[in-house]
Amino acid sequence: MITLSIDTKTIQVAPDTNVLKAALDNGIHIPHLCYHPELSISGGCRLCLVEVEGQDQPVLSCGLTAAEGMVIQTQSEQLKELRRGVLDLFISDHPLDCVVCDKAGSCTLQEYAYEYGLKETSYEPTVSSTLFQDDNPFFLRDHQYCILCGRCVRVCDEIVGVHAIDFANRGFETNIATPYDGPMIDSTCVFCGNCVQVCPTAALMPVSRLQRGREWDLDRTLSVCGYCGVGCQIEYATKDDDIIYAQAPEHGTANGPFLCTKGRYGWDFATNPERLKQPMLRRDVAHELGLSEEPWELPETSPLDIRKPNVEQYFVPVDWDTALEFVSSRLSEITESHGPDSIMGLASARCTNEDNYLFQKFMRAVIGTNNVDHCARL
Amino acid sequence: MSRDKLDQIAEKEQARQSQFDKRVHCCISTACLSAGAGRTIQTLRDSVDAAPTGDEVEVVQTGCMGLCSRGPLVRVQEKSGEEVYYADVDSECAEELVAKTVSWDQAEAKQQELSPELQAVRDRLETARKKRSLKKHILSPDLPFFTKQFKVVLRDVGYVDPEKLEDYLAHGGYEALHKVLTEMSPEQVCDEMLRSGLRGRGGAGFPTGLKWGFVRREESDVKYVVVNGDEGDPGAYMDRTVMEDNPHQVLEGMMIAAYAVGANHGYFYIRAEYPIAVDRIRGAIRAARRHGILGKSVLGTDFSYNADVRIGAGAFVCGEETALMHSIEGKRGVPRMRPPYPSTSGLWGKPTVINNVETLASVPAIIKNGADWYAQIGTEKSKGTKVFALAGQLTNTGLIEVPMGITLREIVYEIGGDVPGDAEFKAAQTGGPSGGCIPNTHMDTPVDYESLQELGSIMGSGGLVIIDSTTSMPEFARFFMDFCVDESCGKCVPCRVGTVQIRTLLDKIIDGRGEPEDLDDLEVLCQLVRSTSLCGLGQSTPNPVLSTLRFFRQEYEALIPSSV
Repeated sequence: MITLSIDTKTIQVAPDTNVLKAALDNGIHIPHLCYHPELSISGGCRLCLVEVEGQDQPVLSCGLTAAEGMVIQTQSEQLKELRRGVLDLFISDHPLDCVVCDKAGSCTLQEYAYEYGLKETSYEPTVSSTLFQDDNPFFLRDHQYCILCGRCVRVCDEIVGVHAIDFANRGFETNIATPYDGPMIDSTCVFCGNCVQVCPTAALMPVSRLQRGREWDLDRTLSVCGYCGVGCQIEYATKDDDIIYAQAPEHGTANGPFLCTKGRYGWDFATNPERLKQPMLRRDVAHELGLSEEPWELPETSPLDIRKPNVEQYFVPVDWDTALEFVSSRLSEITESHGPDSIMGLASARCTNEDNYLFQKFMRAVIGTNNVDHCARL
Repeated sequence: MSRDKLDQIAEKEQARQSQFDKRVHCCISTACLSAGAGRTIQTLRDSVDAAPTGDEVEVVQTGCMGLCSRGPLVRVQEKSGEEVYYADVDSECAEELVAKTVSWDQAEAKQQELSPELQAVRDRLETARKKRSLKKHILSPDLPFFTKQFKVVLRDVGYVDPEKLEDYLAHGGYEALHKVLTEMSPEQVCDEMLRSGLRGRGGAGFPTGLKWGFVRREESDVKYVVVNGDEGDPGAYMDRTVMEDNPHQVLEGMMIAAYAVGANHGYFYIRAEYPIAVDRIRGAIRAARRHGILGKSVLGTDFSYNADVRIGAGAFVCGEETALMHSIEGKRGVPRMRPPYPSTSGLWGKPTVINNVETLASVPAIIKNGADWYAQIGTEKSKGTKVFALAGQLTNTGLIEVPMGITLREIVYEIGGDVPGDAEFKAAQTGGPSGGCIPNTHMDTPVDYESLQELGSIMGSGGLVIIDSTTSMPEFARFFMDFCVDESCGKCVPCRVGTVQIRTLLDKIIDGRGEPEDLDDLEVLCQLVRSTSLCGLGQSTPNPVLSTLRFFRQEYEALIPSSV
């Protein structure tokens, strides 16, 4: 371990840790916009400057490896002046319409402008690009708000591995673009939305969030994604019992701060009125078992041919015990009369590994067949 | 190929050259070519063919002779070694030149049978003999432009045919390489460089021997040498000239660097705007491969080396070493933070030496003549010579090589021949857009790394622009800010947005809308960009504004209505 001092606090970190991470992990706040703990170092935002004892010029803490005995100052008049100057340049190229911005309250640039008391820019406001792209149903790209920190580019390249976006053009005209600025759908983008999550400003925003409330209007609920057995932690931002958007928590146990497209955008089923919430038994079977008074016959059209069956018309709700009792008795009957190989089990990728293990065990040991398969193999 | 065979080639070429009574050198470097040297050399050749003379005359295509503003330039070299320079040699002048310099043999004239085309040339030569305009084209080698220079890097430039390996060998080419491969250890080569005091000619002035030593001590199977030929300062063409006019000299320097650090592969990074340099470097690589100078067993030793050319798309920032490496790797040409320095993690993460063209072109001479010889040229801390592209409002502009420590006065008044017309010398700008302006009150400043830095400028890669009293300094500063706005890569905010804001303030002041506090704001912003930018380009971007504010503040103040 390496021992260094940051703002008179003695800190121990693993070798090869950068000073910014060392400070942040120990509750010392240094402003930063391009740095992200899971991504490579860029050094483009120039905010995380610190003073190192024995060096004349302030140094970027994200690019500075902690060394034994290092003495770091993160706050001083000189540093404040420099950071304030850099932030002043940032906001000269960023609309200051925070009063109507959906990101207000969770925008890092806004947070720093507040911290450094920058009400407006002292320069000529010059917003570099007004391009607005809404070429996909998941997120919006509004380049006016982009501060070119490059987190989206790096997350797409380094974490997701698809490199759908990169910097295009140069200098003041630089912007983030797909190859040849084509529609997102024609790029290699998998719409995982991790770029949206790491974006510190309103340049990348979930479509579902627009004008649906700002940070202080939203409740946050930690949950586990139900899409597969990985068990990613997921944070649902809700307002009045409606899901506004989903994102990964800062430190998901299995997923870190990232999610895939299903977890992030595939949550509209949760509040869909057609969602099944309890077991159901077909009406003719229910009648036979004395659970339904009305006799009913299966129509001649196969249910497979009906694109969207009316669930209420075909089924009646029953409790779990009844449902399980019915299933086990039918399975026993069929096994006895036709043999275990007349039964096949198909498991789901949305179950956990443990569930799927138990399922195949049940099929093999209880039913006595090897007819087991899994939808993920299809 | 062994050294003996190369010696044989060199001797054969020397013998071939010494049989000529006269050798006519014609510059075919970019500046002279664009002034019509292509036609000039053709006319010279035709005229020599058509002239009735017993003299053996060879017309040689060579590189830059320096006085580019007077191109196309031609030099006539007598067997005795005597030389005469001719300036502004167009086709007409070329005919007169041949007609007057060769010994005209009437008897021969009658005997020779000529093709109709050559007969026409002969007829024109006959007329040309009677003209009297050649005199005004003659440049005396005693001009201060020539005598004040001291040539190390450019010694053979202008004498060697850049497309002929034999000619380079005849001028002692690859002797230095052979010497290091057979007589010196890599460590000795690094020490020799360190003792010579050679510092990076790209502008930053880092000691070359030190840099090589760092890479030599790195443990790695793969190391690289990169030649930085991405010269981008407006008006500067030192590196282009050396690559175009003596490509083998750069290749030899590169190979010596490779041997010293333990690299077996290297890249020339040349910008696409230098097509002739690219062609000639490629030609030099091919010729060297053919002769066993490049490849598996260099000059018969067990050192192997290969070199390739990579072409830059012309971004100024790609001259910055980390951006340059990204570009070679096929990535977007943007700088990254250092450390790690290229010497530990360079091209594809391997230890890499990146040297400027001029730095490497100095190496063969240092090896051949010794570090002590080189170290006696120049000043205490800045050794050797520096090539400058002398441009702007001067009588003589072109390419010069001077010993470090020469004063600005000598360059401007003696070599440059003063500002033409009634105007007066006002300032000199060194270091291109990253440099600053030195006012005429500092004429006696020695030109070396430290003195220029003290004046808020830098040595830079060798751009030297002379400004006369007719130029407005704020507008001059704005020109360079425009350049920096265009050439910022956009990675870090001080350079990306700061340059735009500096230019906006300059526009405001120059348009007469300035307010008294604008000058202080401008200075504060410049200091911010300087101290917070990521790479050298961003950090030096405000220099033209800061240095003109320092020395010519009154010109800015005069533009602000309320302060008048």
